[in-house]
Amino acid sequence: MTKQPDLRAIEQFLFLEARLMDEKRWDEWQALYVEDGEYWVPASRGQPDPLNHVSIMYEKSLLRAIRVKRYSHPNAQSLQPMPYSVHTVSNVMLDSYDEDAGILVVNSRFIMLEYRRDKIYTYGGAYSHKLVRDAGSFKIKMKKVDLVNCDSVLDSIQIYF
Amino acid sequence: MSYSTDELAAMIRDDSVNRAVYTDPEIFELEMKRIWGQAWIYVAHESQIPETGSYFTTTLARQPVLLVRQDERTFNLFFNRCAHKGSKVIEVESGASKVLRCGYHGWTYELGGHCKHVTGGDAAYNKLGIDKSSACMALQKVPSVASYRGFIFASLTPDAPDLGRWLGPTATSIDNMVDRSPEGRLEITGGALRYNHDSNWKFFVENLNDMMHAMIAHQSSAQTARFMGKKLFPEGTEQPTEIQLLSPFAENVDFFETMGIHAFDHGHSYSGGKTSIHAGYSGISGYEDAMEKAYGKERVAEIFSINRHNTVVYPCFTLKGAIQTIRVVKPVSVNQTVIESWTLRLVGAPDEMLQRSILYCNLINSSGNLVGPDDHEAYHRVQLGLGTDANDWVSMGRHMGTEEPNDEGGFSATGSSDMVFRSQFKAWKQYMTMSRNAGE
Repeated sequence: MTKQPDLRAIEQFLFLEARLMDEKRWDEWQALYVEDGEYWVPASRGQPDPLNHVSIMYEKSLLRAIRVKRYSHPNAQSLQPMPYSVHTVSNVMLDSYDEDAGILVVNSRFIMLEYRRDKIYTYGGAYSHKLVRDAGSFKIKMKKVDLVNCDSVLDSIQIYF
Repeated sequence: MSYSTDELAAMIRDDSVNRAVYTDPEIFELEMKRIWGQAWIYVAHESQIPETGSYFTTTLARQPVLLVRQDERTFNLFFNRCAHKGSKVIEVESGASKVLRCGYHGWTYELGGHCKHVTGGDAAYNKLGIDKSSACMALQKVPSVASYRGFIFASLTPDAPDLGRWLGPTATSIDNMVDRSPEGRLEITGGALRYNHDSNWKFFVENLNDMMHAMIAHQSSAQTARFMGKKLFPEGTEQPTEIQLLSPFAENVDFFETMGIHAFDHGHSYSGGKTSIHAGYSGISGYEDAMEKAYGKERVAEIFSINRHNTVVYPCFTLKGAIQTIRVVKPVSVNQTVIESWTLRLVGAPDEMLQRSILYCNLINSSGNLVGPDDHEAYHRVQLGLGTDANDWVSMGRHMGTEEPNDEGGFSATGSSDMVFRSQFKAWKQYMTMSRNAGE
């Protein structure tokens, strides 16, 4: 890999992440995050932090491990029938690159369709990925999902955006 | 109306209710008038309108309303409807302004509701014998509004009972939440979560004091949390807050039996009392010191000795004093309900107290939480199951006849009793069959 991050490689990484979620390869998805990596879906526009304001989801590795393990729990009523998803990622742009720290901030747009019990739920918004270079690829330090309707009434959300 | 009072009364038996109370759209419309149109309904907390001119918009039994602070001591609750053409005057959720201006034709109102400006002048109404000072040109107030320790309630009837007396012993749940602030003050902060439920409003209101569901419905999240806690954090070490908050949902039946439930007039209730699923959380550094400095050791012990699970002010307001959150019920239709969740800061307490409450809301109350989707799924499946012709009657007879009078003027029972449901439907029947409904 050259020093300057290759946009194509970044895109492939985001597409991989989306694919792992759609194919429910949750252990591989988890492994894309660094140890203290964060996943955050704010509940309001421009929400400054996940600690002093409620979020739709704010999960570090422990909560992600619980959620992912729950996906295969035999008595998880709300996962019967299991929801399925398709994520589409586009408009990928490199917002910043800190060469010394090896940290990139990547902005993109997404649409997610979630299907469960004869119904399709549509979600869309912006992703902001803070990535760190890792062995020729990347790992996620922070994935922030700004839903276009983050402050709206929302149905049960059980799949990661 | 096709339902007579007798027919409505006959829907509630001592040990069961007719499924129509959950499934019939006509009954839902009657509930909006007779229950939601008469009871005290929660509107907002005073901290949401801190300054003169601060306003907050919400709904009251599905009707848009507008709460406005007029001065330090006065606030007004208006129907959010322009006196002119009927447009909603304020559309955004909250803000502050010196006047209230309708965006359609520019009619402008003072904070007290009087009309201040009519575009083109009010002389145009001379022939009708009215002008800006006429009541019909002012914003119309909701008939009854009152506040209990900062929590503002309203009723669509002009002769609502005294709020404090109507709250009965559930007022002490509010008291206990306020008492947990070293300054005796609460502040709503940290935004709202609005969660759509494809189910009748009563399922949510019943479920909060349904002590038989947690260990079953929440097994997948709470058991998994326990498992991960044990695996990752060796015995004897403090479990992280996330695990502390999630694990108690997997407590066994005995735990919930011991927590107990307590029911009162008007359908109100609470569960827990001396202990609850919130009793085992770790202390937060600096909080107890701040409390003891403010109240003294003895009083603080007394405040913390009350640890309730859910308090339900029937039909709409529910609170958790021990973790400082409220959930507000907003019925939409017979099979749709929005649950709003808000967090309160204990003024004078360390920030970590608020942060724990926020985390609790993320984990339990948000649309993307780990616990609520299983509740939602349960309500929805009841909604589906009641569509069958198997049985018109829904059971609420568990431990019937074993409740005992308590010293708060209500009744107490073992946790798994259906007493709270019976008490809610007793109130339901009273509201739905009151003689005042005759003039509808």
